[in-house]
Amino acid sequence: MSQTWRRTLAVGLAFVVAITGTFVFAYRAGRRVRHIRAENEPIRAWMSVPFIAHAHHVSAAALFQAIGVQPREPHDRRSVRRIAHDLNRPVPDLMARLQRAIDAAAQPPGSHPR
Amino acid sequence: MNDQLLAAVSQYGAPALFGIVAIAAIGVPLPITLLLIVAGSMISQGAMNPWWAIGAAGAGSILGDQAGYAIGRWGGSAAVTKLGGLFGRPAGMRAMEAKAKAWGGPGIYITRWLLSPLGPWINLASGTARYPWHRFLFWDTLGELTGAAVYISLGRFFSDRVMALYAVLGDLTWAIAALLAAVILGWQLVAHLRRPDAG
Repeated sequence: MSQTWRRTLAVGLAFVVAITGTFVFAYRAGRRVRHIRAENEPIRAWMSVPFIAHAHHVSAAALFQAIGVQPREPHDRRSVRRIAHDLNRPVPDLMARLQRAIDAAAQPPGSHPR
Repeated sequence: MNDQLLAAVSQYGAPALFGIVAIAAIGVPLPITLLLIVAGSMISQGAMNPWWAIGAAGAGSILGDQAGYAIGRWGGSAAVTKLGGLFGRPAGMRAMEAKAKAWGGPGIYITRWLLSPLGPWINLASGTARYPWHRFLFWDTLGELTGAAVYISLGRFFSDRVMALYAVLGDLTWAIAALLAAVILGWQLVAHLRRPDAG
C-alpha cells in the first residue's frame, strides 16, 4: 500500500469517527432536551437555599426551616456548604434534609409518602 | 474549586462573575458556561440585574482576552511558551497561530462563545501573529457580548434546570466540534481522492 493511500485511509477513518461523534453527541443532546422538564434538578453543595427552592418550586422559608436555619436579612444566599460550615454540620446531612423537605412539599396534603 | 466559584457567584453576584471570567479568559480552565447559566437563573429569581450580569461577564472576558493578546504580542516567545506550558499546552502554538491567521475575525468571534475552549489560545496566537489590535478588539467584544447574552438568557429561560441545561450545552459543544472536524476531514478526503496519483 502506497504512502498516499495509507494517508487517505487514515483521513477516511478519522472522518468516520468525527461523523459518528457528531451523531452520538447530537442524539444525546436531543434526548436530554426532551427530558429536561421531567428530570429533577440535583442538589449541589454550591447552591444557595433560595436557588434550590426556585429549582424545585418550593418556598425558601420551608427549606430554611427544614435545616433549622434562621435566614440572614435581607437575602441569605450562602451556599449549602457554607451553611454546613457555619453550623458545624456535615454537608450530606443538610442535603438529605433539604431533599426530604422538597419531597414532602411535592406530596399533596393528606397523602401518605410512598 | 468549581463549587467555590459557583458559590461565590451565587453569593456575591456580578463582581464575582467579572473576576472569574477574566481569569478564565487568560486560559485557566473554569466552568464559565455554567457560571453564566447560574447568573441567568439568579436574574430570573430577582437576585441579579440582567444588565449588570451581561456587563460584568462581557467586560471580564474582554479584559482577560486583551491580557492574553498583549502577552502574545508584547510578551515575547518566552512568555508565550511559559503561559502555554502553565496551562498544559506547550506545543502547537505554531499551528494555532496559523489557524488565527486563516480564520481571522470570524474565528475570533466563534471561539469567544461557541468553541470557547480554543479562545485563550486564539488570543495568544492572534498576538504573536500580530493580528491588528483594533480588529481583535472588535471581534472579541462582539463575541464575548454574544456569549454572555446567549448563555445568560438560556439560564434565565431554564432557570429551574441549570444542571440539565449545562449537560445539554456540553453535548451540543462536542457535537459542533465533531461536525467541524468532519467537515475539515471530509474536505481533505475529497482533495486526496481527486489527486491524479490517487487513482
